[in-house]
Amino acid sequence: MTAAALRNTPSVKDEVSAEEWALRLDLAALYRLAAKHGMTDLTYTHFSARIPGDADEFLLNPYGLRFDQVTASSLVKIDVDGNITLDNGHSVNAAGFTIHSAVHMARHDLKVAAHTHTPAGMAVSALKDGLMPLTQNSMRFYGKTAYHGFEGPALDLDERERIIADFGTDKHTMILQNHGIMVCADSVRQAWTRLYGLEKSMQAQLLAMASGAPLRMPSDDTCAHVAAQWDKGDATNFLDGWESQLRLLDRADPTWKH
Amino acid sequence: MSVTAMSVPTQPDVREKVSAQEWQTRVDLAALYRLVAMEGMTDLAGTHISARVPGTEDHFLLNPFGLMFEEVTASNLVKVDLNGEKVMESPFPVNPAGFTIHSAVHMARPDVQCIAHTHTAAGMAFASVETEVLPISQTAGYFYKRIGYHAWEGISTNLDERERIVQDLGDHRGLIMHNHGLLVAGPTIPAAWVMIYQLERICRTQLEAMAAARAMGQDVVLMPEEVAMKTAANFDQSFKNAAEGRSNFDWEAYLRALDETDDSYRH
Repeated sequence: MTAAALRNTPSVKDEVSAEEWALRLDLAALYRLAAKHGMTDLTYTHFSARIPGDADEFLLNPYGLRFDQVTASSLVKIDVDGNITLDNGHSVNAAGFTIHSAVHMARHDLKVAAHTHTPAGMAVSALKDGLMPLTQNSMRFYGKTAYHGFEGPALDLDERERIIADFGTDKHTMILQNHGIMVCADSVRQAWTRLYGLEKSMQAQLLAMASGAPLRMPSDDTCAHVAAQWDKGDATNFLDGWESQLRLLDRADPTWKH
Repeated sequence: MSVTAMSVPTQPDVREKVSAQEWQTRVDLAALYRLVAMEGMTDLAGTHISARVPGTEDHFLLNPFGLMFEEVTASNLVKVDLNGEKVMESPFPVNPAGFTIHSAVHMARPDVQCIAHTHTAAGMAFASVETEVLPISQTAGYFYKRIGYHAWEGISTNLDERERIVQDLGDHRGLIMHNHGLLVAGPTIPAAWVMIYQLERICRTQLEAMAAARAMGQDVVLMPEEVAMKTAANFDQSFKNAAEGRSNFDWEAYLRALDETDDSYRH
């Protein structure tokens, strides 16, 4: 497929449910926001969203597009066995399928998974201490972060069982050691606030650690208390400015909605 | 669904309802929001910058909650009292919890017109290690011995914390809020811009210098105390000038930069 054809996927709006279309719009926006904030790695890494309903299907990015080229219609609908269930001319990346299908098979409570390879994320994933609850911002991940050891590019489907086992049942974020990070959430907008918050937390942690000065590490009690405050606020607050961010995306380039 | 709710309510008549001085404050404060965004110092739609309405003791302007700083305009700033309650009609919500820190400082410091608070990576990092602003650069003179330190108490929802914030700030220009972020208290909005811009750079510079020095088994080199105090005194004079309303070239230059790219903050 030519580059132009990759970008101009015909609209699938009339072929999908209203709920799926709304989800496609949100997920396409998530790709564009990550691009805007410099969290991309060429055409790699993935964000996925579970299709509402009983079938284990989810949306994943069309392989070969930059995040700033992803549109609502170019997202690929695929089931956890790897069957593309709506042909829109695109395919998916195999490693991305492995990681994201693991989440969507096992954790139906988490609707969205977002995985990045930012320098800050890769650096923290290579630290013995991993992610630290050093700031108000990073405490939302306290007690909610799992770790998964690196096994090489995730091309073997049997890695899914180990991802699922490492993730457990009560975490929403995973440090993929020597690789990157993944956040999961109930909604696309919540995934974005977590992804943004985690990125900023990791940047701050690396700067703090590198300074060589002793860290002001809060007590476990404080961390647990603040993590609970975050959980309570997460669902209801306006801190994310999601709609405002969509308007800013539109102003710069409205093609994500196609 | 969120993606269909795409318009920002507009309030074309705000300018006619407020004094000329308040309108000017609104334009300046909206510009400051845009500049903080332009310099990458935002945390999505979180954090606040507040300004006292001229001629009042207890009316303040604050961002419409839920808007990214790039969407803040002179008209959509919300006028609130010390408790964060709206005192002029607005279609936007405010975040009263987030304003409690600001109102405490505004109450205690009549000399402060504008307070800016950030959660940048460098600011959070600086606030999370055992250090203070050191006299390692001329720029550090903006805050050397002119900044307080506030211990972490969890997310600010406790009104008692206000007293400790006021105490820790004292008569300083700003606060390093441990494990949290930065705060500056400016005599004017243009001064607050220079302060938040420079405090950000001071934190980043010192963290980088410490990292490089320690990696080589060295300590950072401090200027002699006498020079540090002389430098700080020099900045005291600039802030005195600012408080007296003298023109601020930095502010004017940045306003031109804003106006050339997007002057919608003026509406």
